[in-house]
Amino acid sequence: MQSTENRHVIALEVEDKPGVLTRISALFSRRGFNVESLTVGHTHQPGVSRFTIVVRAGEAELEQIRKQTQKLVHVLKTYHVLDREVEPDERMKAIMAASNQVQHAVMREMALVKVHYDAQSSRQINHVVEVFSARMLHWSGKDLVLEFSGTEAKIDAVFKELDSVSVLESVRTGKVAMSIEEEKVDL
Amino acid sequence: MASKTKGSPLPMTGAKALVRMMEDRGVEVIFGYPGGANLPIYDELRQSKIQHILTRHEAGAAHMAEGYARVAGSPGVCLATSGPGATNLVTGLADALLDSIPVVAITGQIHRNLIGTDAFQEVDCFNITMPVTKHNELIKHESDLVAAIDGAFYIANSGRKGPVLLDIPVDVQLANYPHDLKAKAILPGYQPTVRGNIGQIKRALRALDRAERPLVLIGGGVEASGAVAELLSLVRKCRLPVVRTLMATGVIGADDELYQGMIGTHGNSLANRLVNQDADVILAIGVKMSNRSIVKPELFAKKAKLIQIDIDPAEIGKNLPADIPIVGDIKETLRDMNRRIEEKPICGREPWILGKHKRSTTMLPKTDAARVMELVFDELSKIDQKLHVTTDVGRHQMWANHHMTNPKHLPLFTSGGLGTMGFGLPAAIGCWFADKETPVVNISGDGSFMMNMQEFLVAVEHKVPLTVIVLNDFRLGMIRELQNLKYGKRHIANDFNRDLDYPLLAQAMGGWGETIVDPKRIGPALKKAIQSRKPNILCFDLELLDQRANLSLKEKAG
Repeated sequence: MQSTENRHVIALEVEDKPGVLTRISALFSRRGFNVESLTVGHTHQPGVSRFTIVVRAGEAELEQIRKQTQKLVHVLKTYHVLDREVEPDERMKAIMAASNQVQHAVMREMALVKVHYDAQSSRQINHVVEVFSARMLHWSGKDLVLEFSGTEAKIDAVFKELDSVSVLESVRTGKVAMSIEEEKVDL
Repeated sequence: MASKTKGSPLPMTGAKALVRMMEDRGVEVIFGYPGGANLPIYDELRQSKIQHILTRHEAGAAHMAEGYARVAGSPGVCLATSGPGATNLVTGLADALLDSIPVVAITGQIHRNLIGTDAFQEVDCFNITMPVTKHNELIKHESDLVAAIDGAFYIANSGRKGPVLLDIPVDVQLANYPHDLKAKAILPGYQPTVRGNIGQIKRALRALDRAERPLVLIGGGVEASGAVAELLSLVRKCRLPVVRTLMATGVIGADDELYQGMIGTHGNSLANRLVNQDADVILAIGVKMSNRSIVKPELFAKKAKLIQIDIDPAEIGKNLPADIPIVGDIKETLRDMNRRIEEKPICGREPWILGKHKRSTTMLPKTDAARVMELVFDELSKIDQKLHVTTDVGRHQMWANHHMTNPKHLPLFTSGGLGTMGFGLPAAIGCWFADKETPVVNISGDGSFMMNMQEFLVAVEHKVPLTVIVLNDFRLGMIRELQNLKYGKRHIANDFNRDLDYPLLAQAMGGWGETIVDPKRIGPALKKAIQSRKPNILCFDLELLDQRANLSLKEKAG
């Protein structure tokens, strides 16, 4: 049963009932599943919310996470989603072929970063804004709030680049994911 | 009545709606304890045909509901107030969850506008009971009440059965609201699979047919799904040898030649060897593969293909990978299997192993009056009438599970998953309320008995034909055994140092009792107790019985 632990993304559609967040987080806690990030929000369907949870798990544990979560009465659907930018290995391809619960997905993450902007740091910050297509959300006269969005790898790179300037505050949303059909057209 | 057909229903209190809905669902009896936050429900119960059994502690109410459910096949209902009433239910709910027993628990909660203020008798029942229930709800709006009650009874008794708790604030119980009692719960996320996939069933039958050494492993799920007859039909038709877990005690007779014993820590060495080494195909039915049954997963079914039937998809691959999983209700799935076998018989050859089970091969340490326990169970097994038998938790539980042989006393009802000491006495009382024709017996130890002994008063009050068998070793025998085996015989906290006068206690509570010190008295005392139809406690003094049994053996030898 031992398999190497990898990061996986689970998407859940749930009934938007009081306590549903606790039910899910308590389940992860009591079964000893590792959560790296968790996002939740409403969907276009009234009464339906969607979780995107990044977990660290081996394959067998991942299957347990999905099944145990599915057992919660207020959970409607569970998916194991795969980043389309990551090529699945042979084993994962076999799993995908056998299960309709595994889907390709596009994934994005957003980050808000507040930096101190002055003559000394301006060059570096301008460079980051340009390279990573940041949006400037607020300028106080000395601090600047920037918005970045993109793949997780891109946000990682943003933070790496910002290492050398003084970051005052930052927050990352964690991944959100949306399943996609077989790739036909690359946009 | 006329208003039923047109317009919205007449307003009624939440408490009335609850009691009416329980009546509609055939609830005959509720085990409970009143308090400030559930009195509106009690007020309504006064006018109901539902019988209320006042327990002496809420733990008793939860275990009685379990006992009732086990015999009745419908959810047992328990009722408690907020705060300590709710927390006292927790152990029983956890017990019901681990052994998949349908229980509906109703707790009162304080007024909605006081929730979160640390009010008197306030606890966060919703969050406390979430991990020990299959599902739970805090009813925040009176408009949600009816659907929640409907859902609670449906969820508890469908799919993998289990406990469901509804936490109802006292002002929701009191609020007048036009409850539509026929409203159904809408549960889009809850759709248990009942029929097993026919392709998988065919694959399973093919694998069994091709097997040289097929073996069936049964767990608590067989009885929980009411599939004992279907199981016996399958294994008899195909002549398949059977091993079991603790939760399937007595599903197949111990003297049946197909039966090869119990697996696990407290099982038989033969049965463990069969699953670990000998079998080449194992059909596991309703087994959760816990650590007590599958002690070393890396050894289990090492050379075998594993077919697993379970109604809970999460059980497939949870502790062990299955080669041929079948998700579905066991009764339905076995019926489908039997139907196919009827058309196209499988496993034509003679069974590879038959009649090899010997109860002497149990892996139980044969210490401290073990032979006396055997004597008691042999004598009990001779009593040839139908009984509902429960056990508590400890050495007596393991010995009873191997040595009870009379099919009229089985399946044994035991706390297998949680291992709850104090389960047996209230569970036995609960059994009786579901089947008043059959006397009940609780096999217990001194430690377990003292955990919930106050419930004996309930048996006296309702004239329950209950016999409590206390196998008294004056200590926590299983703890002592563990300290002997694993802690270098360093003993602590296993000795009670003060004995209890059981007959006097029984008498004080309005029953009767006897202490048995002479091996010759074991049989007659049991017979008298079970025939008396009056609550009684038999205390078997294991030390004296052991000494005297030894003495008489020596006399015979010399």
